[in-house]
Amino acid sequence: MKQHPEEQNIRQNFEPGKISKDGFLGGDTRHIHDIIREDQRTLSRLGLSREMVAQRLQWMIEEGKKGLEGVVDKGDFTIQVRWARGMVSCPFGESGLHHKLMVTVFLKKLTKEMKYTQLSVHMIAEHGFFGGKQSTYRLDPEKLGLLVELGKE
Amino acid sequence: MVLKIVFTVIVLAGINGVLASLLVIAERFFSNYGECKITINGNKRFTVTGGSTLLSTLNVRKIFLPSACGGKGTCGYCKCKVTDGAGPLLPTEEPLLTKEEIENRFRLACQLKVKQDIAIHIPDELFNIKEYKAEVTLIKDLTYDIKLIRLRLPDTDEIHFTAGQYIQLQTEPYEKVKEIAPRAYSIASPSSEKKHIDLMIRLIPEGICTTWVHCYLKEGVRVGFTGPMGDFRLHEGTGEIIMVAGGSGMAPMVSILDVIVREKIERKVTYFFGAVTKKDLFFMEEMAMFEREIPNFTFVPALSQPEPDDDWKGEVGLITIPLGRYLKSIDASVAQAYMCGSPGMIKACANILNANGISNDRIYYDPFA
Amino acid sequence: MMNNLSPWVIFFAAIFTGNILLTYFLGMCSFLSVSRQIKTAVGLGLAVTFVLTITSALNYVVYYYILDPLGIVYLRYIVFIVVIAAMVQLLEMFIERYSELLYINLGIFLPLITVNCAILGVSLFMVIRRYTFIQSVLFGAGSGLGWLLAILAMAGIREKLNEQKIPPALRGPGIALIITGIMAMAFIGFSGIVQIQ
Repeated sequence: MKQHPEEQNIRQNFEPGKISKDGFLGGDTRHIHDIIREDQRTLSRLGLSREMVAQRLQWMIEEGKKGLEGVVDKGDFTIQVRWARGMVSCPFGESGLHHKLMVTVFLKKLTKEMKYTQLSVHMIAEHGFFGGKQSTYRLDPEKLGLLVELGKE
Repeated sequence: MVLKIVFTVIVLAGINGVLASLLVIAERFFSNYGECKITINGNKRFTVTGGSTLLSTLNVRKIFLPSACGGKGTCGYCKCKVTDGAGPLLPTEEPLLTKEEIENRFRLACQLKVKQDIAIHIPDELFNIKEYKAEVTLIKDLTYDIKLIRLRLPDTDEIHFTAGQYIQLQTEPYEKVKEIAPRAYSIASPSSEKKHIDLMIRLIPEGICTTWVHCYLKEGVRVGFTGPMGDFRLHEGTGEIIMVAGGSGMAPMVSILDVIVREKIERKVTYFFGAVTKKDLFFMEEMAMFEREIPNFTFVPALSQPEPDDDWKGEVGLITIPLGRYLKSIDASVAQAYMCGSPGMIKACANILNANGISNDRIYYDPFA
Repeated sequence: MMNNLSPWVIFFAAIFTGNILLTYFLGMCSFLSVSRQIKTAVGLGLAVTFVLTITSALNYVVYYYILDPLGIVYLRYIVFIVVIAAMVQLLEMFIERYSELLYINLGIFLPLITVNCAILGVSLFMVIRRYTFIQSVLFGAGSGLGWLLAILAMAGIREKLNEQKIPPALRGPGIALIITGIMAMAFIGFSGIVQIQ
């Protein structure tokens, strides 16, 4: 697919070593736009929107922050938020920095762990990007259905 | 037929050659900005070749403006006041400058190109920042995820810093990481030590620098760093000192505690160290030593979720709990608070401090988030 | 072929009755993309005018003094494009040096002037219509100014449209194309003043 040089430079930001050690693609060779489009299809099929998902993920971050690095128990699941020093920029290239927060949500009944970062929430909300297949902090839209249901009070 | 082809090719090559030569000449002319004079703070003057960014032009002259993003225009740390010769504000600078800053002629040094004579204003402390090449002489595990590294300067070099300042460590390429990345770490060693610095570095998953330090750095390797930088330090006062810092945030506190010992400062000092379990605790002996050497120093570690095996008899709960309880028991009217940690921890503790009589003008923290 | 036209008639015709963009629909791509802000539109318009004037002149010289005498006019496409590319490169260096702000705002559209079909179109028209040197230069300048006029008008309209409510499906390229069509129809009103073909 033809890309203009600015777009090619952006793709580099997703590769390992530029912004994070392992990058945001995990070896996925698809064009970023294709990744976004396919995930959007899955989201629509599940009746979710990126705003809904981002809002729920952000809520979990805020609850997790209260634990000051410890585990916060919310009944059906636990959240642990670790906050590192420094700021990170978005690989999509717009200016603006994000805090380095790493979130681990543990779903008790399914004994499943889901990991994501503050940057992932921004990328989902603003760009609809959930991470390349096999990338460290990929949030599969399929599995997000569960997450969105959790904690609905 | 063949002759015709050869002829055509020659004519085309000729036309291309003429145009290409024209472009080469033009390039020489256009990208030659000539000599530009830079005036700093009204009194330091020097001449440079124009064309590069202000940040790199100053770096070549060994003047280092802080930069966390390596000149990409995403961190905003390299802001400086340009009183003359700046040219119009670029769209790449705008998002990182506030309205007041723009009105006061602040520009982003990594985006602004030096094309004519230029006058800038930078804080005097920046002149103390130098580039160093040091040898790793010690790598020690403090906890399961924090390492202490010691960097020894060459015999000809010395570093002069104030306790509480930080340096920017340059990573080297490794594995898939092709570029160098500068990352900030507070200095943990005493400021009286001019030949080496100690850093406390915590492993962050996916971290470019911390992974390099934890997995690839070995004793004997040479690394580069720039510094010292930062405004975090001990301030004059008569009130007691309250420190709050967990994990690798202890680094600047250790350096400051050393100053308190050396200068025989008589203020009361209490250090609240927040952690989750016992395996997050370290430097316990060093803290006990400070308790012996400083007449009124108490180290208060608190574990928010101690494990049963920890057999923990100390404070339990989030650090805000023992902190709040302590503040209620003292006269906080002239006390000062010093914090180093994540924005979340700093905010939570600042709320408790404010609620107990310590106003924001007496709260100091290291803002490198 | 009306070859005894005054160069100034050609100049004015190129701006109004035979507007390279609104009558011949050449040069649409950068027109649609850079017409959001008046400042950048004017910048690009002037850049295009510069390229058109210089390349018409240069291509005239190359065609009639190099290609024609040597019997290799069939190379005109390659040669014209190479000349255009070189001039655009020169222009890019100039703009980067003297107005970095404009350079950043134009972005990819500055080098894209090279493949703007209006530029090659003007050089080819000049050859097809057998214009003299003066006629070619004024034809180039006029076409450039005509393109500038069109993009300036479009930018003005789009800046005003920013505050209006446009149906979501039409926002962006949709409404821009409709406006271009309406502008083209308005310019048809000029035809009949003079024919330059």
